[in-house]
Amino acid sequence: MATAASTARPPLWRNVRFLRILGQAVFVLLLVIVIREAFLNLEFGVQEQNLDLSFDFLRQRAGFAIKEGIGYSPNESFLSAFLVGVVNTIRVALVGIVLATFLGLIMGVARLSSNWLVRRMAQVYVEIVRNTPVLVQIIFWYIAVILALPVIEGGLSLWDLAFVSNRGTAVAWFRLEDGAEAWGLFLAAGAVAGAIVLRRRTRLVERTGRSAPRVLWAVGAFLVVAALGFLLSGTPVAADVPEVGRFGYEGGLQVSPEYTALLLGLVIYTGAFIAEIVRGSIQAVPKGQKEAAEALGLTPRQQLRLVVLPQALRIAIPPLNSQYLNLTKNSSLALAIGYPEIVSVSNTIINQAARATQMLLLVMATYLLITLSISAVMNALNRAVTRKGRR
Amino acid sequence: MSGSGSLPGDLERTPIPATEEPVVQVAPTRPPLTPGEWVRRNLFSSWFNGVLTIVSGTLVLFFGFRLLRFVFVSADWSVLRANLRVYMVGRFPQEELWRVWAVAYFLAVLVGLSRGFLIPPHRTRRGSYLRVVLAVLALGALFYLVKSLLVWLLLAIAVALYAGGVAAGRRLGRRLVRPVLVAWLFAFPVVVLVLSLGDVGASRWGGMLLNVIVAVAVIALSFPLGILLALGRRSSLPAVSWFCVGFIELIRGVPLLTLLIFGRFVLILLVPPGLTFAQVVRAILMFTLFSSAYVAEIVRGGLQGVPEGQYEAAKALGLSTTRTMALVALPQALRSTIPPMIGHFISVFKDTSLLAALSFSDLLFTARRASQAFEFVGRQAEALLPAAFLFWVIAFSMSRWSQRVETRLGVGER
Repeated sequence: MATAASTARPPLWRNVRFLRILGQAVFVLLLVIVIREAFLNLEFGVQEQNLDLSFDFLRQRAGFAIKEGIGYSPNESFLSAFLVGVVNTIRVALVGIVLATFLGLIMGVARLSSNWLVRRMAQVYVEIVRNTPVLVQIIFWYIAVILALPVIEGGLSLWDLAFVSNRGTAVAWFRLEDGAEAWGLFLAAGAVAGAIVLRRRTRLVERTGRSAPRVLWAVGAFLVVAALGFLLSGTPVAADVPEVGRFGYEGGLQVSPEYTALLLGLVIYTGAFIAEIVRGSIQAVPKGQKEAAEALGLTPRQQLRLVVLPQALRIAIPPLNSQYLNLTKNSSLALAIGYPEIVSVSNTIINQAARATQMLLLVMATYLLITLSISAVMNALNRAVTRKGRR
Repeated sequence: MSGSGSLPGDLERTPIPATEEPVVQVAPTRPPLTPGEWVRRNLFSSWFNGVLTIVSGTLVLFFGFRLLRFVFVSADWSVLRANLRVYMVGRFPQEELWRVWAVAYFLAVLVGLSRGFLIPPHRTRRGSYLRVVLAVLALGALFYLVKSLLVWLLLAIAVALYAGGVAAGRRLGRRLVRPVLVAWLFAFPVVVLVLSLGDVGASRWGGMLLNVIVAVAVIALSFPLGILLALGRRSSLPAVSWFCVGFIELIRGVPLLTLLIFGRFVLILLVPPGLTFAQVVRAILMFTLFSSAYVAEIVRGGLQGVPEGQYEAAKALGLSTTRTMALVALPQALRSTIPPMIGHFISVFKDTSLLAALSFSDLLFTARRASQAFEFVGRQAEALLPAAFLFWVIAFSMSRWSQRVETRLGVGER
């Protein structure tokens, strides 16, 4: 039934392909105009303030001190100062992620406990913490708890091994001595030995079908090699006990009040969200899975470890990833309490060098890099877990 | 169901013959647990649980006692009494405070009406006990904090208006939906107008008033913007969708605080010279950009949940793409996004505390400054806790509210 009408080309204004191209062209054109206009305004505004848009200022002398972090002196450049901030952000984010995961795991499991009191306690924790802004919590820990601690001379002390005061916390730690490198080699060898034992024990279990401790043996092998190495390399590690000195603590592992407050705030806040993720993921595993495991004669612990948790983990990883990103991004709130991380240091640099545009571009790019790295790790983990389940 | 010889296709539609008695389902009744049984079952079901109960019970008693002693005995709440007005409205001029009260009354009626027809009366014995306890506590706190008779009178009027709104909302029910919706739409501009006319201006807003205004403005602005971004992200035009993806991912990848700093230092350089706007407005703009990226992701999730058949059906009816979106896909998508959307709005409200990090005199900043005042040295906890409590009360009641609205609307059951 093909007639001339159906073969005729539609007019241009009804041609979908043409309209699509036209629409995009208009959109891009508008975008270019807006961006160009904004850029010209920016250039004009910056010139009026006798500034420029180059990144050269990063090489200038910073001239301000940073309270904590990797080695740095005010004579170094703005870029070095910024890098101190980056390291400090990573320092708080990584420790925070690990601690928040532990706290969230405990609280999430507690919310599913068969014990009424434990369940309620976990619920109260989650409901209080989740509904209060994280910045309020950080400032509360900093001002009302940590800075309200006794002064350093009258500070709390735990058997002279750990000290707590409003100047921070110092705990006994380890100091590397001569022979630490040699011991490091032994530790590596111990790890290899542990891995070999683990594999052999796993094969044994798979061959005989009996359940036998595997991880215990592997850890034992590692410890034996490590202890042997410790003796052979001549006590490479010594205890480093802090003391109350004239200008603060000396020796030991020292943690500043700002770091402690930020970490407490971030961990407790994110822990509540992780607890909800853990609870949700465990509840999301179909009930039949547990019943099937029970029917196979697995003990309650085995049911949890071999059947429920692996599946819950798979559900939990994507939302966990976004909580880890939130924690990392929320570490920028340190600006309010003066812990020198990326935003806090950059704010100082902006006040000194006035190059807000370049500095903010740098900050945003750095955060994107950090968050993308965390996402990449979590995605790799996700793939590993999913593949394992499908095999 | 009896398959009495009818065609298989009709099987499900076969009506139950009227002569058959309807099946009455009787759940097996269990006598209520005695207190002893309840304790044994919930607290001491195994030796491990017993130990857990004793340990956590000791902790609860210890910290509960410390907390009660702090609140009622050792704490000195005079810092709150001295700063109550600052916590609420910041440096809002006293002679203009009637504006705030007028807005509060308007909102009390509106919230009351909405609650009246949205949430059915919900009476359990435990709930009403709790309510009485909370009311007594609130009254006690007010007796301590508010000494002025005028303020008591004004508060009483607000409560009366709210209660009247709830009663009217219950009585009139669904007939109110449309007028109340319209009132909500106009509420924000009216409120801003009332609050900024005269000798006030946005720079005088402070305390919790600032947090609430910013949160409401951001929610109202970022909702449509987020929907546009979500639609743009799903657009079949690559230029549009790439732009939207880039924008959303960029915003979600950086901390809100860096965006706010951007708003403070850089935003003003991007607009034509001579065009200036208040710092609060810049903050609201950046908040809005931030929030709209998250709204977009929520809406995208909702759109993905709309079955493909709905689009096909709309196409079969001859609807254009725009109409398919506006009349078929979006209404269904938005309905399913109510729970995460309210969750996001709660976090927008919590995020307004970031204003304090930029030295806007919001609730948190005010509380922090009060804690640094010379005459209240050593009372930092008493200065900060009320602010935390106010944030918590609002966020927590919003989340409770949303749970009840969800069950009412049957979200997730369709």
